[in-house]
Amino acid sequence: MSLKDYILTRILLAIPMMFILLIVIFFVLRIIPGDPVLAMLGGKAPQEVIEQKRHELGLDKPIIVQFFDYVGNLLKGDLGKSTLTSRPVWNEIKDRFPATVELTLFAFIIAVLIGIFWGSAAAAHRDGLIDISARVYAVFIYAIPVFWFGLMMQYYFGMILRWLPVAGRLSPIVSLDNKTGFFIFDSIISGNWEAFIDVLKHLLMPGVTLGLVISSIFLRMVRNNTILMLSQDFSTAARARGISERRVLYKHALRNAMVPILTVMGLQLAILLAGAVLTETTFSWPGLGSYLVMKIRYRDFPAIQGTIVFFAFFVIIISIIVDIINALIDPRVRY
Amino acid sequence: MKKFLLVLLLTFSLVAFSSNVLVVGTTDKIRTLDPAKCYDYFSSNILQNVLVGLVDYEVNTSNLVPALAEKWEVSPDGLVYTFYLRKDAKFEDGTPIDASVMKYSIDRAMKLNGDPAFLLTDIVDSTKVVDNYTFQIKLKYPFSAFVSVLGYTVAWPVNPNLYPENGFYEGAPSASGPYKITEWIRDVRIVLERNEKYYGPAPKTDKVVITFYESAATLRLALETGQIDIAFRHLDPRDISDLENNPNINVLKGSSPQIRYLVLNTQQAPFSNPLIRKAIMYAVDRQRIVDDVFVGLAQPLYSMVPMGMWSHEDIFPKRNLRAAKRLLQQAGYWTDKPLTIDLWYSPTHYGTTEADVAQVLKESLEETGIIKVNIKYAEWSTYVDYFLNGTMGLFLLGWYPDYIDPDDYLWPFLSINGAKSMGSFYENPITESIMKAARVCVDQNTRSDLYEQVQNHLVVDVPNIPLWQGVAVVASQKNIKGVLLEPTQIFRYYLIEKK
Repeated sequence: MSLKDYILTRILLAIPMMFILLIVIFFVLRIIPGDPVLAMLGGKAPQEVIEQKRHELGLDKPIIVQFFDYVGNLLKGDLGKSTLTSRPVWNEIKDRFPATVELTLFAFIIAVLIGIFWGSAAAAHRDGLIDISARVYAVFIYAIPVFWFGLMMQYYFGMILRWLPVAGRLSPIVSLDNKTGFFIFDSIISGNWEAFIDVLKHLLMPGVTLGLVISSIFLRMVRNNTILMLSQDFSTAARARGISERRVLYKHALRNAMVPILTVMGLQLAILLAGAVLTETTFSWPGLGSYLVMKIRYRDFPAIQGTIVFFAFFVIIISIIVDIINALIDPRVRY
Repeated sequence: MKKFLLVLLLTFSLVAFSSNVLVVGTTDKIRTLDPAKCYDYFSSNILQNVLVGLVDYEVNTSNLVPALAEKWEVSPDGLVYTFYLRKDAKFEDGTPIDASVMKYSIDRAMKLNGDPAFLLTDIVDSTKVVDNYTFQIKLKYPFSAFVSVLGYTVAWPVNPNLYPENGFYEGAPSASGPYKITEWIRDVRIVLERNEKYYGPAPKTDKVVITFYESAATLRLALETGQIDIAFRHLDPRDISDLENNPNINVLKGSSPQIRYLVLNTQQAPFSNPLIRKAIMYAVDRQRIVDDVFVGLAQPLYSMVPMGMWSHEDIFPKRNLRAAKRLLQQAGYWTDKPLTIDLWYSPTHYGTTEADVAQVLKESLEETGIIKVNIKYAEWSTYVDYFLNGTMGLFLLGWYPDYIDPDDYLWPFLSINGAKSMGSFYENPITESIMKAARVCVDQNTRSDLYEQVQNHLVVDVPNIPLWQGVAVVASQKNIKGVLLEPTQIFRYYLIEKK
């Protein structure tokens, strides 16, 4: 199979995957009790009004008809309108997604740096101080609930030291021309350095909190895989040829160790993009994770479906990219 | 690396506030700023500061006063309301607010049939432009609280240049009130600045920035660290008592028109037996709920009409366990043959305190020694489903008024149709006819007498048991003046200033 065919197959396989997901989401949402009109107006509006709203939203049609209506619109690229706000779901996602991306990328970079450098150093000095501290760190960080960690950061850096703002994305009095929703990017293109520093300050605590938590996963994976690779024949052969241990570690062992790690990192990134709900809530970060939670509470079917379809799309795209990268660096994957 | 981080952190030291900007923090959300769709507290709150209606409430009272309408007349049959509009009111873009704008706005709200539209469509028959500045509304039936309904944002004029006739409008409104909206990043912040086109007095503070938080804990931290000047909706009760001990923070408490009560499904056994309903009425311990759960941030309530509103009367009896026991025994239950019931609550819709309330209620009912209570809960959207279908026999519910009038505290629960949508399935033709009479009657004293009669029936039939009335809370920095928690729940940013 050529690389092109491989990519094509992966994309074609993604379509039924999306469809199955859609079916599951659509029907599960409608099977669980509670409906959007009741969540909005229940206990307030008269019964006739509730019936009429249901009719307007098409909720009185048979479920199967609703499903095909939805799929039809989706194929036209229409995610529908939120029942809670009447705004197009796509606009709401566009409002929220940049915040999530900014937080995720920041956290991800921190996690990857810690994971790779500390992880490979731990592998090189197996059972040494660096290794033991790495293992303790990984278990410790992984065991802490992220919201608790976030609260402690807020308390220490926000309350006691007053270095960093406790929540939000931007100080109330700092103005920013909001063009793309990516505040870092917006502040750079408008040359607004006051806003840039302010946005970075807001990003630091939630970013580090989330970054440290995922770094533990990467750290363990990098360490274990590198140790495994260091004991492989090709490493021994490299050493026998007189190549320095440092070069063996970085050029040979770590590179080979990265293949499975890349997959995990890719998927982890996709999961993070689907919203780090707890981090977002703790730091009042207006991203997609907290958005989805809010929408579930109100049974806002179009918004929930739209967000999940969007996530699924993202996860699929990223996993395809990861597969392609894997195929490129390790030809065995394709066969 | 460590040194680098430290330097980085130090360079990021906090920026000082400028004093002519007021910063408000909240955990509420804005859902829509289209009056035809707006039916939640915080969206209305913003609209009340950027738009004006035909009528307004006098500051810090629930008395209606003229706003856009300088005066109004009611026809002798109570069906036709004629409003005489002031001639100097304009929108931000200079469009005058005349009778045709009023007609456009009210017709539009009724036609679009958004969430709050039923408040109008239930009563309003038609609207009419008499001349440029005279506007008429014809009702389907006489309704004495109609002008109060006009106090709600659904009936407020919108700029026809901006708000389409056939669809909801997503953006920020064209202002007609004290403030205009100059920036709005959804769920991040909204900025209000003085509207020079407003006919009334200028706001005390030129610029207000409202920032949105996702949790009560971060809202509290933001106030304590000086990121915000005012924390408005919703701090947790425990945080509030902490903040009261903080010398840098002012905590203001005010009356709230929110009432909380128990609903008893009068069609479901064992609550179909009035003896049982009355026994529960005697057994509930309101004081303990207020003291233990709300640490004093609520008041025990003995009437469905809240304290501070005319026709309120402490009609429900104080706690009396002996009376409760006697009634239960009459109904055929004894200590060795106890009555087992389910008590329902919804865990997040009314805040995080609800589980504790249910626990206190359980204990107070079980103190009779004859009742055993199982606590059950369901998430809000499910909960609503359950009470509409009559699944739940005994459950907690709350009410915010849509218009400030006793009618809105009795009719929605006790009228036959209302009771169905509130889960009590109560039917009493006598109370129904008294309430109908009160809805038509214009004289307040007569209406007050009629509502008193209705409340007397309530204690006999017990479809609802009022428990407590909320206390509204706002916390601010010490240098903030002019914050008012009004009985109407209107929070006016334009009266607040920073000293």
